[in-house]
Amino acid sequence: MSNIFTEQPWIADTGPVAPALSGAQIALNSRRSALKVLLSVVSIFFMLMIVAYGGRMLYQDWRPTPQINLLWANTGVLLLSSLCLQAALMWARANKVQWVRGALVGAGALTVLFLIGQLAAWQQLTSMVLGDFSNPSVGFFFMISGIHGLHMAGGMVALTRAAGRAFNESNARAMEHSVSNCALYWHYLLGVWLLVFGLLFTGNNFEILLRICGFI
Amino acid sequence: MEHIAHDETSFVRPAEVGEMELYHAKTWLGKYVFSQDAKTIAIQYAATAIAIGMVALVLSWFMRLQLAWPNTFTFIDPAYYLQAVTMHGMIMVVYLLTALFLGGFGNYLIPLMVGARDMVFPWLNMISFWVYFTAVLLLAASFFVGGGSTGAGWTLYPPQAILPGTPGSEAGILLMLASLAVFIIGFTMGGLNYVVTILQARTRGMTLMRMPLTVWGIFVATVLALFAFPALFVSAIMMALDVLLGTSFFMPAIMTMGNEADHVGGNPLLFQHLFWFFGHPEVYIVALPAFGIVSDLISIHARKNIFGYRMMVWAIVIIGALSFVVWAHHMYVSGMNPYFGFFFATTTLIIAVPTALKVYNWVLTLWQGNIHLTIPMLFSIAFLLFFINGGMTGLFLGNASVSMPLSDTLFVVAHFHMVMAVAPVMVVCGAIYHWYPKITGRWYHEGMARFHFWVTFVGSYLVFLPMHYLGIMGVPRRYFEITGTTFLPDSAQSVNASITIAALVVGAAQIVFLYNLIVSAFKGKEAPGNPWNATSLEWQTETTPPGHGNFGKELPCVYRWAYDYSVPGVEEDFIPQNVPPRNAQTEVTQ
Repeated sequence: MSNIFTEQPWIADTGPVAPALSGAQIALNSRRSALKVLLSVVSIFFMLMIVAYGGRMLYQDWRPTPQINLLWANTGVLLLSSLCLQAALMWARANKVQWVRGALVGAGALTVLFLIGQLAAWQQLTSMVLGDFSNPSVGFFFMISGIHGLHMAGGMVALTRAAGRAFNESNARAMEHSVSNCALYWHYLLGVWLLVFGLLFTGNNFEILLRICGFI
Repeated sequence: MEHIAHDETSFVRPAEVGEMELYHAKTWLGKYVFSQDAKTIAIQYAATAIAIGMVALVLSWFMRLQLAWPNTFTFIDPAYYLQAVTMHGMIMVVYLLTALFLGGFGNYLIPLMVGARDMVFPWLNMISFWVYFTAVLLLAASFFVGGGSTGAGWTLYPPQAILPGTPGSEAGILLMLASLAVFIIGFTMGGLNYVVTILQARTRGMTLMRMPLTVWGIFVATVLALFAFPALFVSAIMMALDVLLGTSFFMPAIMTMGNEADHVGGNPLLFQHLFWFFGHPEVYIVALPAFGIVSDLISIHARKNIFGYRMMVWAIVIIGALSFVVWAHHMYVSGMNPYFGFFFATTTLIIAVPTALKVYNWVLTLWQGNIHLTIPMLFSIAFLLFFINGGMTGLFLGNASVSMPLSDTLFVVAHFHMVMAVAPVMVVCGAIYHWYPKITGRWYHEGMARFHFWVTFVGSYLVFLPMHYLGIMGVPRRYFEITGTTFLPDSAQSVNASITIAALVVGAAQIVFLYNLIVSAFKGKEAPGNPWNATSLEWQTETTPPGHGNFGKELPCVYRWAYDYSVPGVEEDFIPQNVPPRNAQTEVTQ
């Protein structure tokens, strides 16, 4: 494979042609690569929202979001859904097609439950603040959890397709790529949720972090 | 030079993976409207971008008419003027230049130049265009809603953007925010395609360091866009929530029209940070593809290899990376900590180093080259002149202490038009003239093209050079009129009038340009497959214009970089990338 630091492109080939269309580079699944690029973009997106949240916290009139206990249960459901996908991946590799089908359906059902739980949390918060959304932390909660939920709902499209394929396919190994991509997406969104939930929506963890870093 | 004798079969290892399966449309709609062929999608992107760009051009005429002859044209009132300023800026930066460089040139050139059949995800590519088209329709719709389009300036700063009194603060701003969000979604789909195609669909022998600089420029610009647009997306959502749900992300407690607004505690500066975290890389999203394309045009039309190829690649990468740490130089007058200003002034000036390096390399490529003053070369030289001029004034504005008195004057307007409007547009024109014979299989009318060049080049200088002087005098930007301002002499108004005349003429020349492109596509002389004797793969296709799948039965195999021009000892003054060493050197001197 060519080295972008040392290659001297002005020298024409004098040996075998560099195999850009072969070897490790092309052995990568292009859908997987696109997913990784997409997740990088989504990371920037959530990072910017967290930074904006932190920037707003530095002002003296900051009021945190009221605590919503239901979010703990929702987090548990999302964790289970992610575990289901990990199990589906393991069973796809072991070619256990029935188990893969069950795990995919389980992951989908748990994700729907998570989304319903988030909507219930929204309703709770709306009644807690009596419909007044002028507190920035409340606005941030709706926005960040809403965008996270939209990402989960978007993932459901891919999961539904993977599950549909699982029910028409007898060879589970053939589904490994699609199940693996779904699993990566779910694990990633679980990670994002744990970060924003832990940092922004439970107690004053982000404030503690900002104090440690000397911003407050 | 030594003759290298190789048997071609031992030289080219067989590909280890099969080729991608192409989708072949069966209906007219599938072939020309909902096409999955990157080349058709490229033309759709370009046509849409140029169409909405022409709207923005007409808006600039309205602005100039008002500035030159205040209150003569009754349909231009202060609100309409601000709406024209806003829509002109946003359309030109995002919906024309970004879409044209990445969606237009990116789609056409990436697969052809890297030796791929098509983009890796053709269906997603098609959707990407239609999402972009929807974004353009949403934007255009804002002209027709109650209150009209937003007049908040292209930066859309809150609280002004959404407060009553600002034109378009009702539906106009919401449509603008929705359109931007949709645009970003569409671009992300396209961007994923460009990145993965470049990384994974290159043909055999096409190492990263053998890619033409055009591909490098588009690649790095796409990465920048993928990482910068989320900031605009976040700010668009937050502002929309401030309008629709009454949240207070950006809206502070404020009096409006004598009443207290519902908002409390929002931070308008947060919007500025988010906007410019997108806004400054956006400059390079437009500039980097232009850098790449102009490098290729200069090399081809000067019949010389590009000077310092590796440096050019790394300069593109370094400029891209640095563009993320300079954003607050757009906010020197926002009351920031002086140390903060010092940091951003320093990073801004550091970015001049790789940029200057690129300019030196372009000039050194021209030095002692066999310069052909073709239309693409004329536009490339014009690019250099505009870019150097605009870059120099960037040094003034990058320094916090010099920038502050110039802030919000026409000096800033002149600077950014020189460096990121006219300079890239010169490249766009040069590139269209360069690849036109490949895209259409026909020649454009040379006389009309030369007329277009000279009027655009001289006219743009007449527009933007005097504008610097107006800025230094203190003429503010975005003002409806400056007459009766005591600190400005009457001559300022005369300069304004002369700028307007030049702007009207330059605009009219673009009509000649479009006429030439459209008519020549049907009636132009037939062009050969490689009229410029160029080396890169798009010129080596079996048919011109290239068919679906780009290349013949076999994908080309690459043996060299794209800059083998005037190679000593070789009879022809160019060696295409897909010519094996033993074929290229049969005429080698002893």
